[in-house]
Amino acid sequence: MALSGGADRGSHSMDKSITLPPDEIFRNLENAKRFAIDIGGSLTKLAYYSTVQHKVAKVRSFDHKAKVSLQETDGDPLYEISVQEEITARLHFIKFENAYIETCLDFIKDHLVNTETKVIKATGGGAHKFKDLIEKKLKLKVDKEDEMTCLIKGCNFVLKNIPHEAFVYARHADSEFRFQNTHPDIFPYLLINIGSGVSIVKVESEDKFERIGGSSIGGGTFWGLGALLTKTKRFDELLQLASKGQHTNVDMLVKDIYGGAYGSLGLTGDLIASSFGKSATTDKEFSKEDMAKSLLHMISNDIGQLACLYAKLHNLTRVYFGGFFIRGHPVTMHTITYSINFFTKGEVQALFLRHEGYLGAIGAFLKGAEEDNPNQYSWGENYAGSSGLMSVSPELNPVQRARSGTFDMLEMDRLERQLVNLPLLQDPTSYIPDTVDLTEDALSRDYWLFCFEDALDGVVKRAVASQKDQPEAVERAEKFRQKYRHKLQTLRHQPFAYGSLTVRSLLDTREHCLNEFNFPDPYSKIKQKENDMALKYYLKVVKSVEELSWEQRQFTLVKGLLAGNVFDWGAKAVSDVLESDPDFGFEQAKQQLQGMKTFKLSHNNDKILNHKLFLTDK
Amino acid sequence: MKLKCSKKPAFPWFGMDIGGTLVKLVYFEPKDITAEEEQEEVENLKSIRRYLTSNTAYGKTGVRDVHLELRNLTICGRTGNLHFIRFPTAGMHRFIQMGRDKHFSSLHTTLCATGGGAYKFENDFRTMADLELLKLDELDCLIQGLLYIDSVGFNGHPECYYFENPSDTQNCIKRSCCLDNLFPMLLVNIGSGVSVLAVYSKDNYKRVTGTSLGGGTFLGLCCLLTGCETFEEALEMASKGDSTNVDKLVKDIYGGDYQRFGLQGSAVASSFGHMMSKEKRDSISKEDLARATLVTITNNIGSIARMCAVNEKIERVVFVGNFLRINTVSTKLLAYAMDFWSKGQLRALFLEHEGYFGAVGAFLELLKSSEDA
Repeated sequence: MALSGGADRGSHSMDKSITLPPDEIFRNLENAKRFAIDIGGSLTKLAYYSTVQHKVAKVRSFDHKAKVSLQETDGDPLYEISVQEEITARLHFIKFENAYIETCLDFIKDHLVNTETKVIKATGGGAHKFKDLIEKKLKLKVDKEDEMTCLIKGCNFVLKNIPHEAFVYARHADSEFRFQNTHPDIFPYLLINIGSGVSIVKVESEDKFERIGGSSIGGGTFWGLGALLTKTKRFDELLQLASKGQHTNVDMLVKDIYGGAYGSLGLTGDLIASSFGKSATTDKEFSKEDMAKSLLHMISNDIGQLACLYAKLHNLTRVYFGGFFIRGHPVTMHTITYSINFFTKGEVQALFLRHEGYLGAIGAFLKGAEEDNPNQYSWGENYAGSSGLMSVSPELNPVQRARSGTFDMLEMDRLERQLVNLPLLQDPTSYIPDTVDLTEDALSRDYWLFCFEDALDGVVKRAVASQKDQPEAVERAEKFRQKYRHKLQTLRHQPFAYGSLTVRSLLDTREHCLNEFNFPDPYSKIKQKENDMALKYYLKVVKSVEELSWEQRQFTLVKGLLAGNVFDWGAKAVSDVLESDPDFGFEQAKQQLQGMKTFKLSHNNDKILNHKLFLTDK
Repeated sequence: MKLKCSKKPAFPWFGMDIGGTLVKLVYFEPKDITAEEEQEEVENLKSIRRYLTSNTAYGKTGVRDVHLELRNLTICGRTGNLHFIRFPTAGMHRFIQMGRDKHFSSLHTTLCATGGGAYKFENDFRTMADLELLKLDELDCLIQGLLYIDSVGFNGHPECYYFENPSDTQNCIKRSCCLDNLFPMLLVNIGSGVSVLAVYSKDNYKRVTGTSLGGGTFLGLCCLLTGCETFEEALEMASKGDSTNVDKLVKDIYGGDYQRFGLQGSAVASSFGHMMSKEKRDSISKEDLARATLVTITNNIGSIARMCAVNEKIERVVFVGNFLRINTVSTKLLAYAMDFWSKGQLRALFLEHEGYFGAVGAFLELLKSSEDA
């Protein structure tokens, strides 16, 4: 791919061109190792592995078996919470325009401490062009990896490890992005990579894949023809023009030939019979927008058609689209979705990937990290450090439009244990733990986003209070507030930024942000106090419930469950009450329950919840 | 192929195919008119015959393809010449007016028409010239027309041809062949748009798919990119251009072959892929652009045709349509593409009468229908 805005712009002042200070983009560089880089025609993706040290609240219970019965007045704590330093392995991926390569490399070199790494894995069309620069700046040997291999490895990784990675795009539905559940077996699938040209790859297993076909009509064609026809030089501008155009002025439709539909073949009048068919026969000038739109349709339809022909030949129903041509642009995703739907008569759906821009970098990184065997672990997205799906849609508010295309980040934390589906689930692929989907349900989304924003003050206070002895706690808590508020704002405008939006993901995001600033669990002390109290009454309550009739018992259990959840969630009404009346007890909570008709139960993260259900009336 | 005609329809005998860009007209000129018949002949019928057969150009844009004329054809008991005429669909209204001026409606002949325009212009024929069209399905006509012409041959020569050694574009030889064992065949009709048909027998076929990147796209893009105005101009420019200046090749990205996937360095990786660079844009010529457009559209059609052939398990791919008229660049490229990508399993076949089969099919329908007008 031809490079635009060459690196020959020389030294580039980072401060003027980026919106975040560089140490917030290239994080945790001191211990960084295993570098990888994917250099495309205009964007570079850098990957590295590093470790992050942060505080974790660990629970250790004391041995109570010796005690025969727990006395109410027993003041000893039942378990201990200690805060320990833990090291998490984290993968960092950063995306930026090629123009900034030199400055970014300089910055990395300055902050890199670890000298173990000798090699950087590289892929992408631009890898050989920038080889010398990278070797000079980073003093690392560039080890080129095959682009397709990296792409597939990256694709396998995201499909397996990131929930809701793949989605179906439905332009006119309530929720434009319909995220797909992770399937335990992702193979086989078809990957259509649309870069300058198109590669169609059939992936049968982790190591078995084959390029079964391709097309020379791809992103480069759109850009090249677009530049020639509209005199527009930037790819994103072309897309913007396309989103405003009317292709029917330029294309010859079935109705232009038939005066209506071609009924016997089931071809509706609005179908395009000949792209640019009108430009041959009429004398008039065509607008840039109309030509760009026609071009987009022409190319998307063509790619979709070929994809379908290959999918049919190889009997594949999972078709993923990646490559810079897409970049989350709604019009492009829509035309491709429409095309696939049309040519397979609705049997196959086009699937897109949230992190499609990073596939090459992830794959190159995995190639270099083979010794560590990253695939044996489970990885989770760190919402605090990831920028989320950014669309280049013109409807984006100006703040975000300036931001997108500059620097984008993705962070993946290695989880302690490998995640597996609960064996008791009847059908793991269709199981959805969340009862509300906030990407679809706008009303609930507004409610919950507001809820979490409103509760922020309280959380900040708690965070500070939980680390009273540490002086910079206030500063860190403030940073946490900024960060989480920014996340909530992003989600308000782009609910789909991190996949499916649920109350659970909002809580996870908050937790990640808190961890960012070393607040492992601001509620730990309160939880401990309350759990201690609850546990003391536990045996008594169990005994009294057992004495009830079967029916009574069920009612009591359910009411207790609901009230306990209301209590714990800090739903707005309850937290308001709690703020004003700290002695608000369980009985009162149960009474409040009558009025809450629309409340729905959801998942809870706290391990000791169940014990709290049996709080007595004190 | 024997034609069953129970009753001979009245002259003139026409078949019309009104497409998106071109109208194709087939006219039968009887050469066995007896003196008696001539005396009875009405004036306007005579003038129509004279007008059509003594000219090779009509108005500014009508053309009679003399080289395609089928001589001494016996059909329905009459002997004569079959003429092939075309003019742009944009001139349709003028044509209808001519029909009115020549009092065509008084001739009591059935006007058989196919193509989208048969539906689109039906009313205009009626209101402007008091003519009733017998509308026919374009794909039916295409197939019937093709089979007929193949069966009667091209003035003693075969209608069908292919290219021997298609990979050698300079020296590949055009060879004629017979379409015996015609079926099954994949028929790719490249007009303004493209239709791909799988034909199993004379009456059994299905439209597999189509694409909107066809002849109309080539001409349309060419006009926009180079300022040319006609198909002939566009082809002329394309024959002189070099598309490798415009397209990005595999070697431009990989420095050579992409061996892992068996892609030669000379293969096109991205059509028009160099055009995002201003430098490159300034260094190429209009001819290069025309060539690149032609190559891009042709290769794409080839690709789709090949995939369809593989999916439908058909080895014979026949390309027709006026996109291929005087277009040896495309025909050779298609022959090469079919051969190369299928490693010799598929063969591209072409027919001399390219885009006229629909009109011929309509003409045949006229002879089959025994209605008294």
